[in-house]
Amino acid sequence: MRYVVGYSANARGRDAVNLAVSLARGRGAALDLVVAIPEAAPFNAAHAPAAGYDNYLHQQAQEWLDEGLRLIPADVPASAHIRSGESDAQTLIDACDEFGADMLVIGATSNGLFKRFTVGSVAGALLHAATVPVALAPHGYHRREALTRVSCGLGDRPGAEELLDYAVSMATNRHVPLRVVSLLTLDEGDSAEAAETARAYAARHLAAALPAAGAAHPSDVVVAQGRSVEEAVDRLDWEDGEILLIGSSRLARHRSIFLGSTANRILRALPVPMIVVPSDYELKSPSHSTSNDPSREAQA
Amino acid sequence: MSIKHATSGAAGTVQQHGLSEKGLKAGSVGLIGAVVIGVSCIAPAYTLTAALGPTVSEVGVHLPAIFLVGFIPMLLVALGYRELNNAMPDAGTSFTWASRAFGPWIGWMGGWGLIAATIIVLSNLAAVAVDFFYLMLAQIFNNPELGDLTKVLPLNIATTLVFIALACWISYRGMETTKTVQYVLVGFQLLVLGWFAIAAFSHVANGTAFDATAISPDWFNPFAVESFSAFAAGVSLSIFIYWGWDVTLTMNEETRNPEKTPGRAATVTVLVIVIIYMTVALATLAFAGVGEEGLGAGNPENQGSIFAVLAGPVMGPFAILMSLAILSSSAASLQSTFVSPARTLLSMGHYRALPAKFGTISPSYKSPSFATIASAAAAAGFYVITRTLSENALWDTITALGMMICFYYGITALACVWFFRAQAFRGAHSFFFKFLAPLLGGVILLVMFVKTAYDSMDPEYGSGSSIGGLGLVFILGMGVILLGVVLMLVMAKLRPEFFRGQVLSRGRQLEN
Repeated sequence: MRYVVGYSANARGRDAVNLAVSLARGRGAALDLVVAIPEAAPFNAAHAPAAGYDNYLHQQAQEWLDEGLRLIPADVPASAHIRSGESDAQTLIDACDEFGADMLVIGATSNGLFKRFTVGSVAGALLHAATVPVALAPHGYHRREALTRVSCGLGDRPGAEELLDYAVSMATNRHVPLRVVSLLTLDEGDSAEAAETARAYAARHLAAALPAAGAAHPSDVVVAQGRSVEEAVDRLDWEDGEILLIGSSRLARHRSIFLGSTANRILRALPVPMIVVPSDYELKSPSHSTSNDPSREAQA
Repeated sequence: MSIKHATSGAAGTVQQHGLSEKGLKAGSVGLIGAVVIGVSCIAPAYTLTAALGPTVSEVGVHLPAIFLVGFIPMLLVALGYRELNNAMPDAGTSFTWASRAFGPWIGWMGGWGLIAATIIVLSNLAAVAVDFFYLMLAQIFNNPELGDLTKVLPLNIATTLVFIALACWISYRGMETTKTVQYVLVGFQLLVLGWFAIAAFSHVANGTAFDATAISPDWFNPFAVESFSAFAAGVSLSIFIYWGWDVTLTMNEETRNPEKTPGRAATVTVLVIVIIYMTVALATLAFAGVGEEGLGAGNPENQGSIFAVLAGPVMGPFAILMSLAILSSSAASLQSTFVSPARTLLSMGHYRALPAKFGTISPSYKSPSFATIASAAAAAGFYVITRTLSENALWDTITALGMMICFYYGITALACVWFFRAQAFRGAHSFFFKFLAPLLGGVILLVMFVKTAYDSMDPEYGSGSSIGGLGLVFILGMGVILLGVVLMLVMAKLRPEFFRGQVLSRGRQLEN
């Protein structure tokens, strides 16, 4: 079980490391710290020959990684790597492939002055193209203990079942309660009735997703309402050690919208980290089979 | 890439980290790509508009001869550059090489010369871009008054500072021009310059030229230049027009065929450049003459940016293409040129020749952060000072720039001779490339430097601006070098380890 951490030597990188430590502790995962450096681009050459800059960059990246490794407690195995590529996002995606990573952990941004999450350009690019779940650490995330609860945002988009399966496995593997969250905005008709419908819908899906034998696993369904998605998110209570799973709308008609507009708005209001699961992720590793590859997060 | 045979402590400082396995890079370039990079580094549309006028004012109709002769020292020095780059690839280039050959003091000044030259060219690039920006606005809206806005001092300075800040921001963010953009920019420049030449010649043929001047073989005779002063000034200016060409020679790893591509690319690039320079120089002289009135290429009013004046009369309504070509080439150069002083400053910070701050790399963008901003601040400061003091800032900065390039190229070439002195007489190849060529080139450039510096003391030199009876070009050039000496002494007090040779010690190449 390996998680790739997109590390940079700033607050954003430290947020990512903290979240990665927290995630790894609940699952005994190993971390791969990756610093992405740009590839030398001959068409960007200036007056003087550019040879040798790579040396400085590697030396500096190595120092950054040494600092990064010092942030990781001894009980979490970790190694450090320097990788280069055309863009930081592509480099991290390639690193996930290379290490067979089960998750990519990044800091969402360090500039979120008013909003807790303002997705930076690298994070934005990753959310459009990553093939593994991407965990986003909010600005200033400093918790490093294992998770205490897994929340799962449920929508009616295709892929909801797969996401719920993933969430169930994650919660059971980590022995933490699962909470299924349905977010409603008030303009969706009569609030009481809508809430009841949503609750029933979520409960039905949850019942289908829970493994028959593990019915005793603590789980809960909540419906949050607000005038906006942001308000609904704000009204929910969040534990410090909680994480929210949401699905991407990658298979929606406009492939470019990996993170749907609702998810994007959730992201802005959310006080806890979030994991965005690609919608075709489960298709690659069916969750119901008792696979002999125990490394996947989603597998029991 | 490795430091071969480093004879002393430097090997420990510039150690290799075999962390990333380098395969064949995806972006490796072939011959055409390398030529495009070479031409784009030279930025012919920009260099011609900036250097043609000042050179004519020195050597008159012998411009083609000087342009041809000016290539020789550039070639000689670049050959030495290549040898050093192969032996000691380092982002500090002149600084590192001169330190290894001559020790910390001369090394520091070599680095300073490179930084000063690139900072001066940054301010000139931004100023030329601003001129053509307003000219283009005038052409778009058919309103000549907009073009005159560039002569409003506060507005001009403000716009130039904005351009410098933008280019600095782009460079800091590590944004890169793509291959396609480079191809388009280079193709467009060559096309427009060719168009200009053809249009000028057809005016001459139709008798509509401003001052039709018959081309004579004498124009190609460098010995016909009236004085050695004029010759030296002309050559130091033409060093500037080939500046950047050495990039093609030093490209190794980036090319698909490191054995052959760099040499061929260098040859093709210089052919392309010489042809376009000759054509445009002849066309300009034939169309406008060297007179000091009106459109004449010798008119002091036209020195700063010759095409700003000539493009309209020569190309008619299509003059806007020239504005576009120069604006795009100087803007692209402005951004890419930032890399050069920033990396040298970074290297100097790294080797403790400057405060450690200069050695910082941005964790987010992986670019030299402090060094890039410092370069922008210096370029902005230099421009504000020159613009305020000078009657024709563009002209004077280009002349000072020529001097500064001669200074640091000269030091670098001699560093090559000294570093490889043990091998100088081991075979014809070593003798020529590591000894004779750089020695000749270095001596020529340093002679040009001393001569130009001496001549520029004359208050009439360049645009004729002067302070206290000394020419402004001299004050700018010498002032920058003296400032370097002062800063070096301050640094030697603050961080003496570099100056004691404890960081980057002297060495020489013993074997090969």
